[in-house]
Order: sequence, then structure tokens, then C-alpha cells
Amino acid sequence: MKMLRRGKSLSRAGKSGALVLALLGVVMLIVVPLAGPERYLLKVLDFVGIAVIVTAGLALLFGYAGQVSLGHAGFVGIGAYTSAYLVSTVGVPWLVGVAAAVLLSTLGGLILALPSLRLKGHYLAMATLGFNEIIYVMFREARGITGGHDGFGGIPYPSIGGFTIDTPLGVYLLVWAVAALVVFFVWSLVQGRPGRAMRALHGSEIGAEASGIDTVKLKVRVFALSAALAGLAGALYAHAIGFISPSSFGLDQSIIYLAIVVVGGGGSIVGPVVAAILLSLLPYADALLPNLSQSTVTLLQAWETDIYGLTMIVVAILAPGGLASLMRRRKGREETVSA
Amino acid sequence: MELAELLQYVVAGLKSGAVYALVALGFTIVYGSTGIINFAQGEFFMLGGVLSVWYYNAGLALPLAGLCGVLTTVVVGLLFERIALRPRRSAGALVLVVITIGASMVMKSLARHLFGPDEAMLPVFTPGPSLDIGGVAIERQTLWVWAITIVVVIFLTWLYKRTRFGRAMRACSISHDAARLMGIDTARVVMVSFGMAAALGALAGLAVAPLTQTAWDVGGPMGLKGFAAAILGGLGNPLAAVVGGLVLGLLESLSVAFLSSTYKDAISLLVLLIVLFVRPQGLLGRARREKV
Amino acid sequence: MSLLSVRDLTKRFGGVTAVEGVSFDVHEGTIKAVIGPNGAGKSTLFNLLTGFDRPDAGSVTFKGMDLLGVRPCRVVKRGVARTFQNTQLFEEMTALENVLVGTDGSFRGGFIRSAMRIGTRAEERSARSRALHFLRRVGVEEWADTAATDIPHGVRRSLEIARALATEPELLLLDEPAAGLNASETHLLRDALYRIRDEGVTIVIVEHDVGLVMDVSEEIVVLDRGCKIAEGPPLLIQKDARVIEAYLGEEGAADDN
Repeated sequence: MKMLRRGKSLSRAGKSGALVLALLGVVMLIVVPLAGPERYLLKVLDFVGIAVIVTAGLALLFGYAGQVSLGHAGFVGIGAYTSAYLVSTVGVPWLVGVAAAVLLSTLGGLILALPSLRLKGHYLAMATLGFNEIIYVMFREARGITGGHDGFGGIPYPSIGGFTIDTPLGVYLLVWAVAALVVFFVWSLVQGRPGRAMRALHGSEIGAEASGIDTVKLKVRVFALSAALAGLAGALYAHAIGFISPSSFGLDQSIIYLAIVVVGGGGSIVGPVVAAILLSLLPYADALLPNLSQSTVTLLQAWETDIYGLTMIVVAILAPGGLASLMRRRKGREETVSA
Repeated sequence: MELAELLQYVVAGLKSGAVYALVALGFTIVYGSTGIINFAQGEFFMLGGVLSVWYYNAGLALPLAGLCGVLTTVVVGLLFERIALRPRRSAGALVLVVITIGASMVMKSLARHLFGPDEAMLPVFTPGPSLDIGGVAIERQTLWVWAITIVVVIFLTWLYKRTRFGRAMRACSISHDAARLMGIDTARVVMVSFGMAAALGALAGLAVAPLTQTAWDVGGPMGLKGFAAAILGGLGNPLAAVVGGLVLGLLESLSVAFLSSTYKDAISLLVLLIVLFVRPQGLLGRARREKV
Repeated sequence: MSLLSVRDLTKRFGGVTAVEGVSFDVHEGTIKAVIGPNGAGKSTLFNLLTGFDRPDAGSVTFKGMDLLGVRPCRVVKRGVARTFQNTQLFEEMTALENVLVGTDGSFRGGFIRSAMRIGTRAEERSARSRALHFLRRVGVEEWADTAATDIPHGVRRSLEIARALATEPELLLLDEPAAGLNASETHLLRDALYRIRDEGVTIVIVEHDVGLVMDVSEEIVVLDRGCKIAEGPPLLIQKDARVIEAYLGEEGAADDN
């Protein structure tokens, strides 16, 4: 399986990746706010930030541990609906709602991961697909809690203590602060032993087991962690946008998340993060380039799925290492990217 | 419940079961020859229906429209194998899963662009009233569905047991390396398998297009059900695929009869997950062990 | 007391008996070899000993404790490490990183702590120097920063040994470590095996290279078609009639190794 990068040790590749990530952090958290962006752009960037959080977890699961999930939109949905329901309908403080969202999606991840452990490759993909479908049906049918097909609206803004974050810029900073923390956490994780264990698991499960790695526990943990992060993203999404509906948490969305990590490349955090930013901005390109003609924008949005799907295929066929391998090549390091 | 009513449900179950069997056969044949699960199989089903409708609306007579629809889908399947899969044949399951998922996205989306978002129907193959057998009403189109399925099963049985190519396919499903050592052109077997899978999916789509509406997005749900049927029977075994399809169809239908219709679609999902978690080799398969 | 006790170990696959009623002991600080014609059940034996497979009958005791039904990762924690006939290296990782995975077993601390980078730098540094030590032990330290997939065949097997050593086992099971090695590489392997044994690690080695086996092992167990047909020091085994017959019988058939 040649989707992971080859060549030099992680620490050297990690350093330039860290630089790019740090740079992105500075741009998103400092430069963008100072540039005085308008509402629409901020809203779009909220979406992007949330995608980055989901991607970070999925990059661990897929890009490092080599496990496929077609169900992560389901975890995002669990997080979104849990927080929305608890804060909006039940009335708990926002932080409690978010914590519960993360907890519940982690639980969902564990429940799905434990029986799925024995399944390889496409079987696991199918199990997660089935899971996403069931969750989607649940979201649609549990009208009392989720509002069903019509969605759940009027979700309150985030509030910490007595302080409510209700300006577009405030929400944006919250989302991206969380995204920055998550990316740092995940990046630190892969630098050390857990990252090595995950890469070992992906490299040879038998070899990993024979080297003392509890592969069962590792797979469960990574899956649960990625589900937790997806749930966190979902909770943020609900309160940042104010309205959620089942259609945002279906299989199509899960596939898009997968496409992002495929394009971003395995064995890297920075690749998927960059891919997340690029691919989620794509349908909203007019936010960055207001001069784009309406017809171009409509075209982009109409062909969004095709673009994702095609990009995914093209990358998988031509450059299985994704953006990450391309970035490594440009750094001038000796790489033999496999044919 | 009266016997006639129960039988009606059984008929309905066998009708949808036959369709699932065809789609499941598509999954199993590809899996048998290549070891991968083709996530785009459901889209072959969709293309069969949608393309046939398009040809029919373009003026072709119904039989010809159907034939063209199926053949076009076969071409799509062959192109897909040639362009998207063959270059990466040696890559691991992960890459191939990704490619087939991407392909299903593209096929689905292109279908939407080319044929529009609306649903469409084909006229029934032979117009006329339903047959009444002992109080049970059987639509003529249902007979067509069964006829097609039976012909397919007979054809496949003949292919596998009596032809050299069938033996080549069986060899490939055991081991590509061994097959190649025996002089079998495994690339051709793979190509033909995809063509057959496309044909099977398309036939299923064509056969039900007069019964239920077809549109760009029917591929996903059908693909899921077809896969559930395939693993219920046992992936890799054509007979098991047919059994799995019929059993799944009956399970769905009987759940509507005895529970309620809201859970009909959830049945296949439950079957999928239960089989994957409890008995991945399916009803008729043998448990496989990982060799060190 | 023997370090490893195998009693009446039996494993059948459908109609084929891979291992039938095999019993032997391995004493601490020795090098024991398991030999036999192809298909004699040697790799199956290793799988049974290390938790990768379950026997149909028999018992395995390591340091007095039952080793059956224990998962491979726990078998390693108990002090038994192994290599594979088809090397199971982590292809996309460097030689050093491969061995680091082996040393990681002794690392205490979970996901959270690692992510917070609390106190990990010193541990990481000591892990690296220990990993380098194991690479040196088998003589492959020059490949430390090369990806496993780019490492030549002869070195790969030694790398896997280094990784197994990094888990600090008391018993090391090597599955055909000399396969594909030329004469000088085999010589280096022999020296490495002595060094490992002298450091206190007991070794059981499955091998086809009869010369290496005769040189290196203190005791040999001979399997044929799943049964133990002889056990003893090299000189006696060489002369054992049953052993000669088992090997001659194989020579008559086509050699497809």
C-alpha cells in the first residue's frame, strides 16, 4: 500500500509541516481578523474551520492508522444534535452541551469500533457506511428531538460563563481557536510514540502485534478519538451556524471528508489540513474572490460533488501520497514516490 | 393474516429479492475475480434504468432502448475498470476502495447533470393485467424480473461450470498468482468481470424501471442492499448471492407485513451490520483465517 | 527448570495435520534449532507459540506460566519475541523507526500525555539511542535512516531481529533468519546470534541452512510432517537414520524452495 510517504524520518518532514501549520494558524487567527473580513467570508471560514477539525481526526484514522471510515459525518451529526438539543431544548450551559456532544460521539465511535475491529479495508468501509445510513435515518425520524427533515433551528450562540459570543468575528475566532488547538494536539500525537504505533499498525498489523503493540486497543482508541473530534466539530457547527438538518450529516458528506484526507495524503497532518481548507473553500470561492461571476460560482457549486469525486480518483491513481507527498517532493528531498 | 395475503407479501419479497440478487451477483463476481468491493455497483443499477429511459425517450423502441441502456452501462463499467482501476491494481485495498467510492460519486453526479434530477419511468415490457394465481396478484413485470434473473442464473451456472472462461474466473477467485501460473490472462478476467457486473446491475435497473421510478440517486440505496444481500449469502459465491438476495427481499417484505413499512429500509442496514459483525462469511460461506 | 516447555502440541487445518503431538524443552541461555523438510510444520509451531494461532491440543509453558490463548502483543510483553519467514517490517518507516516501535513497548504513558509533549523529549532521546544500540547489535546501523522498503533483502531479516530484540525478550524465536543470505552475511548472522545469546537471550531458530544450524545450535529438534522425529545435539542428529531418511525423501521430490 503506497499511500504513505517514504524516505526520511518523520522528524525532518515534521519540521517543515509544523512550519506550514504554524503559518496557517497565524494567518487564520491573526491576519484574517485584522483584515476586517465581511460576514459572508467569516461564515464560510467557519465551515472551513469545522472541516479542519473533522479532518484532523480522520487524518489520524485513515492517513496514519490506515482505517477507512465512511461514517464520520454521522459523528459530526451526533455532536451537533446533542449539543443543540441539550443547550437549546434542555437549557444546559454551552460548555456542558459541547462536552456531552464529544462524549456521545466518542461513545458512538467505541460502539462502532469494537465489533468492526476484525474487519479489513472494504468491509470496515461498509460497516461505517451502514452506520452513517442508520444514524441518518435516526436523525430524520426522531422528529421530537431533532426536528427531522425540517431541521433544528434557533440554536443559541456559544456562551462561556455569562459571556455570549454572538458576533461573526467572535464565532470565527472561537472555531479557529479550537481548530488550532486540535491540530496542535493531533500533530503532537503523531510526532511521538502513538504516531509511530499507528504507522506501524498501517505498515503491518502482524508486525505491529509482534512488536508488542495492542493493535485492537490502538484501533479502538484512534477510532474513538477521531469520532470525538468529529463530535466536537459538530457541536461547534451547530452553535456557529444556528441551524442544522440531517442532510449535512449523510453519506455524501462522509465521502467528502474522506476525499479531503485522500487528497491531503497519508502520513501527514499538514497535507489533509491544507486539503480541507482548499476543498471546503471550493464551493464558496466567491467569498474569497468577490469578482467571480455568478455563473462560475453556480457552476462550481453544481459540480462540487463531481470535482471532489474526480479529484479523489485522480489523486488515488496518479499521486496516492496526496498533497503531502507533493509537498515533500518540492522540498527537494530525495523521494521515490511509487508508481 | 390470510394465506393469500401472506403469499402476496412473499411474492413481493421474491420480486425485490430477485433484483437484489442481480445486484449482489455483480458485487460477488467482481469480488471473486479481484478481491475488491466495487462501491460503484449501485451506480450500474442506476445507469441501466436511467440510460434506458433516455434511449426510450429519444425514440428507440422499448426492447432496443433497454438493450442500449444495458450495453452503454457495460461500456461504462469497462472504461471504469480500464482507466481507474487497472493502473492501481497492485495497490492495497485502501486505494481501491477510495477509487471506487470516487467513481460512484462521479457517476452519480454526472447522471444528475446529464439526465436531470427528475424521476422517470419506463413503460412495462408487456402491458396487461396482473395474473391471478390462487388469490395472489402477480404483475406481468414481476414475471419479467424473475425471468431475467432465472436466465442470468442459468447463464452464469453454464459459464462457471462448462466453459473454460468460467474456470478461469474460478481460478482467479482462489488466487491470481496461481491462475497466472496456469496461463490465465487475469487482466482479461478482471475486465470481463466488470463488464458482467455492469450488465447485471443494468439489467436489474432496467427490469424494475417500469415498476419503481428511476433517477440519478437510486444507485446508493440499491448498492447498499445489493451488498447486504451479497454478504448475507456469502461474498464470492454466485449461488450465495442469489440466496442472499432472495432472503433479504423476503426479510424486507415480511417486516412490512408483520412490523411496519417505516422500517423497511432499515432492515437491509441491520442485516448488513449484523452479518459484518457476527458472521462476515455469510450464510453459505466458510470462515476465513488470516495467514501469517 | 526449562525456560520453555512444549507438550503434545497439536494443530490441524481441515484434513492436514500441521503439528502432531510435539514436545520439547528449551533451556535458558541456549540456542536450539528446529529443522525439518518443507511443510514439516515449523512456522505453524512458531505461530502456536506466539499467539498467532491456537492449537487443537497440548500445552506451552514459559517461565512456568501458561502461554496458550495469550494474544501476540501480550506474549511479547511476557518476554517472547519472534521474527517472520515473510518479514513483517513497516515498509514506510525507517530502520530506526522500525526498531523504535519495538522499544516503545516499555514506554509508559498514554495518548494524552504524549500529545501534550510532557516530559517526552528525554524519553524519546533515550529510546532512540537504545534503538541504535539494537541496530548495532545485528550490524545494520548504517541503514538507520533508510526506509525499510529501500533496504536490501539480507539486511531486512537482520532488521527484523533488531526490532524483536528491542522488545527486550528473554526468548527469541527466529523464523528462517538466514533465508536468502550469502555466505558472508550468514557468517555475520552467526556472530550476531552468539552475541545475542551471550547477552542472556535464549534463542530458538527455524532454519534450512544446515551448516548454520550445525554450527550455532546446542540442540536440535527435527520435525517431519508435523511430528518430532529426533532431538539432540548436532552431532547425533547428523547421524540419525530417521533424520537422514526424512531429508532424503524430500530430495527425491522436486525442490521448489
